[in-house]
Amino acid sequence: MASLSLRNVYKRYPGGVTAVSDFNLEIKDKEFIILVGPSGCGKSTTLRMVAGLEEITDGEILIGDRVVNDVAPKDRDIAMVFQNYALYPHMTVFDNMAFGLKLRKTPKDEIKRRVEEAARILDISHLLERKPKALSGGQRQRVALGRAIVREPKVFLLDEPLSNLDAKLRAQMRTEISKLHLKLGTTFIYVTHDQTEAMTMGTRIVVMKDGFIQQVDTPQNLYLYPGNLFVAGFIGSPQMNFIDSKLLKEGEDFFVEFGTEDTKTRAGVKYKIKLPASKNKDDVLEAYVGKEVIMGIRPEDVHNEEDLIAQFPDGIVEANVEVTELMGAETYLYMNCEEQTINARVSPTNTARPGDRIKITLESSKIHLFDKETEITICN
Amino acid sequence: MANRLFQGVIHQLKDAIDRTIGVIDENGTVIACSELGKIGENVNIDFMNTSVSDTFTFGNATYKAIGSSQIGEYYVFVNGVDPIAEKNCIVLAISFSNIKFYYDEKYDRGNFIKNVILDNILPGDIYLKSRELHFNTDVSRTVLLIRSLDTSDIVTFDVIQNLFPDKTKDFVISINETDIALVKETAKDIEPKDVEKLALSIADTLSGEFYTAVSIGIGSSVESIKELAKSFKEAQASLEVGKVFDTDKTIVSYSNLGIARLIYQLPTTLCESFLREVFKRGSIQSLDQETLFTIQKFFENNLNVSETSRKLFVHRNTLVYRLEKIKRITGLDLREFDHAIIFKIALMVNKYLQSNPVKY
Repeated sequence: MASLSLRNVYKRYPGGVTAVSDFNLEIKDKEFIILVGPSGCGKSTTLRMVAGLEEITDGEILIGDRVVNDVAPKDRDIAMVFQNYALYPHMTVFDNMAFGLKLRKTPKDEIKRRVEEAARILDISHLLERKPKALSGGQRQRVALGRAIVREPKVFLLDEPLSNLDAKLRAQMRTEISKLHLKLGTTFIYVTHDQTEAMTMGTRIVVMKDGFIQQVDTPQNLYLYPGNLFVAGFIGSPQMNFIDSKLLKEGEDFFVEFGTEDTKTRAGVKYKIKLPASKNKDDVLEAYVGKEVIMGIRPEDVHNEEDLIAQFPDGIVEANVEVTELMGAETYLYMNCEEQTINARVSPTNTARPGDRIKITLESSKIHLFDKETEITICN
Repeated sequence: MANRLFQGVIHQLKDAIDRTIGVIDENGTVIACSELGKIGENVNIDFMNTSVSDTFTFGNATYKAIGSSQIGEYYVFVNGVDPIAEKNCIVLAISFSNIKFYYDEKYDRGNFIKNVILDNILPGDIYLKSRELHFNTDVSRTVLLIRSLDTSDIVTFDVIQNLFPDKTKDFVISINETDIALVKETAKDIEPKDVEKLALSIADTLSGEFYTAVSIGIGSSVESIKELAKSFKEAQASLEVGKVFDTDKTIVSYSNLGIARLIYQLPTTLCESFLREVFKRGSIQSLDQETLFTIQKFFENNLNVSETSRKLFVHRNTLVYRLEKIKRITGLDLREFDHAIIFKIALMVNKYLQSNPVKY
């Protein structure tokens, strides 16, 4: 069993910097969990605390049923792969993978068995006699993974292992690591600042900011039901549109209103989008009537196609196209709607061009509302 | 150089020991032998699992590693697998080890570099000795000081030695039970961030492979061998200053120390009088932990009240009240840049005085 528990874990450095605050997480056996967040959010520190490379200031870390707060890193049955791995330049791939075991006085035939098994899993058996300079970036990365695999640990800790690779290789290695997780059947904890890596690899994602957990959920739930403004903005590319709005109630119906005020030279334009009744679950909207809120809508829920405009008439607004980006399979429209930026992900056959004023519709059932003060989600 | 040394000794011993004796290197190549024809031959031994402390047999010979390193650099061999061969092998290993030790002490480049960085050699002798050792004196070099944070471990030395195996360019020197210096030859125009990346790869390899937590101080890149001692002192100072001001950092570069470097060089009496002058009204000690935390966050957020209050999860007015309180106690209004910078330096000076770091 390699479940892992972090209970009320804190990390404070002597100078007063608090890197991690009240971190609570239960990781199940064989789970692939991702810690994601911007630089300095405490994700690597958390990983290093699990590894035992950083002492925890407060709280408890358990691997299986054992509290490991005071257990030396080498006795925690973990293996780590870091971003800045280095291979021994004068050793062959075999020796690179075997070196750690040799220093730990592992019997020779056991070393051979483990290295050959790891090489088979990583598909590098044919490279065992080569030296690092004769390997490609991806092959070197596999050797680094191999050094961790030969230790046969209960838990793998990976700290941005793909950051130094180019985009193409990174995408390839993402799949390789996911496959590796399935092959090995052990618990993986993976740290990254790249939300694409997080979304594509993890069974669950922990989103962190300023040392605090923001939300823990499956990739799909994080995307569909973000817990706060930060998560909504961090997960998804291009990121969610945020529009400063006001919540109104007319009769039994709720509306979000946004736009510009009248000025001496120009009449303001206001748009009012009717929210479906499902958004007012447990009467959450009542408390916000008349207050300013932040409306969030993902780019793929903004449409300019005729049939979709007809299908979602509640959210029609007009916007000026500023930039278009053809990505191949889709086109991104960057628009300005009454001083608010709205991005849309539309079909590549779309004919909108920069400078056009076009009609778009915001799919009201996909609208998220956030409290402007606390930034917590009001409804998804 | 070692080949000639070993061959010289073997030549003197071959008549006393009535067997074929020799030395092989870590790749299994015979580098010295009583039968000259065998020099250059390769013995196909897999050293991965041989013990450096015991003798072992392979084919029709007995082997023993020379020296006490975790990984044998050279192995002595004696023909035969009988007890006499074993005994001869042990005796030869001890004598070769000692001869090599004295030879290294006199002629070893690593030892020379150690004396240079530790200022154990007269400046005038540096160039004489480097000429004697055919040592390139005019290349760019940087000293990195690697400090193990937990237990001293011979593994750390072996790992770093294996990461930088080119013994003509890079030198790994054990300074004491926790510190290892790496004198690394670098490109002339190397950027400090590239040296930091190199340091990170050392730290990550040690953490990932051997669970060893280290902090690494980086000195400036120097062009002349004479300046290596300065680069080493800077690396030492980086670690000391980092311990005071950058407690959360693993890699501390001398070029990035900023004001901390300045404060580190100030005499403590001057620091004390500065603190007394700044905090005329009330001592810095009269500020509680919560207030100090607030100040730290306020600085981190570039004196932005709204942003800081959000980060602290307090109302804006609460933060303004706290800032007013600080102003009342210290006479410094942190919302003003001039006051803020005085306060920031005063906090650093205070931290420096409390930590009482070693001076290099």
